[in-house]
Amino acid sequence: MRFLIRRFQPEQIRELFLVVLIVLVVVFFSSQIPGYFSARFVNRISTSVVVVAILAVGQTLVFLTRNFDMSVGSIVGFTAYFLGQQLWHHPGIPPWAAVLLAIGVGMLMGAINGVLVAYGRVPSIIVTISTLAIYRSFLVEYSDAVPITTNNLPDWIVNLPPLSLFSIGDVEFRLIFGIMVLVVVIFQLVLSYLPFGRRLYAIGSNPAAAEIAGFPAQRMVFTAFLLSGGLAGLAGFVFLARFGNISVLAGIGLEFSSIAAVVVGGVSNMGGSGTVFGAFLGALLIDLLENSLFRWQVISEFWRDAILGMLILSAVAIDYVVIGRLRRAWARAGLQMSVEEAQEKPEVAIHAG
Amino acid sequence: MAEPILRMRHVSKRFDMTQALDDVSLDLYPGEIHGLVGENGAGKSTLIKIMTGIYRPDHGEMLLDGQPVQVQNSQQAQAHGIAAIYQEPMVFPDLNVAENIFISHQDRGPVVRWGKMCRDAKAILAKLDVSLDVRQQARGLTLAAQQTVEIAKAISLDVRVLIMDEPTASLSAHEVTRLFKLVRSLRDQGVSILFIGHRLEEVLRISDRVTVLRDGEKISSHLREEVTVEQVIRDMVGRDVSDFFSKEDIERGELLMSVRGLGKENAFQGITFDVYRGEVLGFAGLIGSRRTDVGLALFGIDPADSGEIILEGTRRRIRSPEEALKLGVAYATEDRRKLGLNLSMSMASNITLPMLAEYLNPLGLIRRRAEISTAEEFRKRLSIRTPSLTAEVEKLSGGNQQKVMLCKWLNSDPKLLILDEPTRGIDVGAKAEVHQTISDLAARGLAVILISSDLPEVLAMSDRILVMREGRQMGVFEHADATEEGVMTAAMGQYTTAQEVAP
Repeated sequence: MRFLIRRFQPEQIRELFLVVLIVLVVVFFSSQIPGYFSARFVNRISTSVVVVAILAVGQTLVFLTRNFDMSVGSIVGFTAYFLGQQLWHHPGIPPWAAVLLAIGVGMLMGAINGVLVAYGRVPSIIVTISTLAIYRSFLVEYSDAVPITTNNLPDWIVNLPPLSLFSIGDVEFRLIFGIMVLVVVIFQLVLSYLPFGRRLYAIGSNPAAAEIAGFPAQRMVFTAFLLSGGLAGLAGFVFLARFGNISVLAGIGLEFSSIAAVVVGGVSNMGGSGTVFGAFLGALLIDLLENSLFRWQVISEFWRDAILGMLILSAVAIDYVVIGRLRRAWARAGLQMSVEEAQEKPEVAIHAG
Repeated sequence: MAEPILRMRHVSKRFDMTQALDDVSLDLYPGEIHGLVGENGAGKSTLIKIMTGIYRPDHGEMLLDGQPVQVQNSQQAQAHGIAAIYQEPMVFPDLNVAENIFISHQDRGPVVRWGKMCRDAKAILAKLDVSLDVRQQARGLTLAAQQTVEIAKAISLDVRVLIMDEPTASLSAHEVTRLFKLVRSLRDQGVSILFIGHRLEEVLRISDRVTVLRDGEKISSHLREEVTVEQVIRDMVGRDVSDFFSKEDIERGELLMSVRGLGKENAFQGITFDVYRGEVLGFAGLIGSRRTDVGLALFGIDPADSGEIILEGTRRRIRSPEEALKLGVAYATEDRRKLGLNLSMSMASNITLPMLAEYLNPLGLIRRRAEISTAEEFRKRLSIRTPSLTAEVEKLSGGNQQKVMLCKWLNSDPKLLILDEPTRGIDVGAKAEVHQTISDLAARGLAVILISSDLPEVLAMSDRILVMREGRQMGVFEHADATEEGVMTAAMGQYTTAQEVAP
């Protein structure tokens, strides 16, 4: 028991719970819809989850510092359009340059958010709602209402989404899914093993203490927004590849999907706790539900959003009630163990009790 | 004697109307615990905030090893080996103990090596002779343990000057003993410690040298063995009381309220007093003495959970501010900017807010003219200086804002008015006017409870003074018997001398 308590934190239990929930959803719909669980369905989900999952990674970084990034929907739309237009007029741009261009444009937009929030000390919700609108209007002005269509794009990007790295039976491991996995793994490692990552947790955990702790907290909040913008740019690239036809409405609402994913994935809106892997699971669960409900004729499509809304609310409720209790239990167990250990070596005074 | 590590030379700092620090010099020697004492507002916090780079001084300089240094922020303070531990520990609840210790380190390589970090944390805690699970989240730790984590953090950063701002405020006696052991062992390792405390006996117990600040000035600085408790207290309070307006002598009216054994869990207990019409009852005590909590309980914001309140002969329960106002009890808060006034609204709107129901016409709309006439009446009565009755309260001076807040509650026609720090942060002239107003109110038969950290003010204005310390009533002094030393001694918990001064 003692070993288990030391080994697992409440957050990990929560992630395990999400995995179980995802399995339950699959089992449930398999029993409701004939031929539901197939290789084709797996391939569809693994393609459609990519954009929101990448955004959720960036959103996690920002959430950890007790902030929001509402502007990502417009950043995705703008970078997708901008990149499409560049590829249309300069078809010779190599793929790697196209990806870097998208990330660069996204970072620029994220940097504006970051400067205003970290150095201007404007609440992030206000900054990013404003830039959400500003970046969208910028796109409308810039595009001159001329949409990008698949016909304008070079072949390599149009053929990218179905491109498979390898396959097991009919289940394909597609390149864009691979990109997403890479992003999730990299940022999971960043958050666990880089001082920058740990300090993001610290900032959200106690902003007042972070100010006087002796590390550059402002710069770190800025960097979180910068990275969120860059990841939104990358998501814009994937968005362009997947849909090909980009209008001024591209990416509208993605900011909500990304926030829903991180909240369901257990990233606390009060900062300080949550993981990138959890956010990915959140994105996966939401995408799975959306796709499944779409095929399930019993529920009218008007109820789909309501079900997602209820999912988000229950995720937050779980966060406050269950995780809160688990944390207190863990804290008690921790104290108990310290006391017991102190009693085992009586020369060391009890300080934790 | 070794050279001082840190010297503060002629440091001054001013905030708007208040001179928080005035030409203060202080030397911190290696291997010495330097106690810093003073009343609330004496400038202790400002001084340490300058040392840690949160504020920059208007004048004066800081010398580290004889070299002038500029400390602009906490990173630079840390780089110079200066760290501070506050009353409320500044830990990160979501991170574990080891991470909290090493979160600010810049030199531990590009990657967090969890295993090494935990081993290093264990080693540091072992050096402090403390048993804590380094993998435990800081969330579950007691305050004392959180403080230990902060001390461990400071040590891991090779701190040379450790500032402790009332570290014992929320610790039990046992925990204080542990802390002191720790502090002494740090001193023996050559660290220079600046120890700020409210409990004088504690400060004197731990310190090698004691410096007293009063009203932003350094009054005295002595080696511990050269001073007595009495002398330190005298240095802390010795102010010229004649600066203060005195309450006029008024015949005490009939009994208004009796409070018997009032208590609230984790706040205060055993509060017992009577207050009469036409009387000012002062509440004295230091920060953390829970005087405000008693005020909030009487006004129903945080109702008491034991004891009784008898108002004009009837036992009453006050469970909400609405009930309190109906019974004729009003409370003017200590934090007028945050809680007391709506700064962007006019004086008239502020005054009528609690009693707005009486300013409505049959359609439920506000009768502007009635509001204005009430405001005009009060403006004359309290001689409030304002550009107009409809000007935003924000634009008034601190003293006039304070008067507007008084009007706000006087308009409810209370029998008992509780004033919490009514003169904090306003200049001397305005203070005198507020004092005059309080005196006038008492003369009209109002009972006033005056909560104030300004000891001379309480002494000058009160008919009787109730002294509190850490939620307990330490005694009630009659005006004639109350001296600064006596009240301060009771407030600092020096029982023995308290009996000598006020038998």
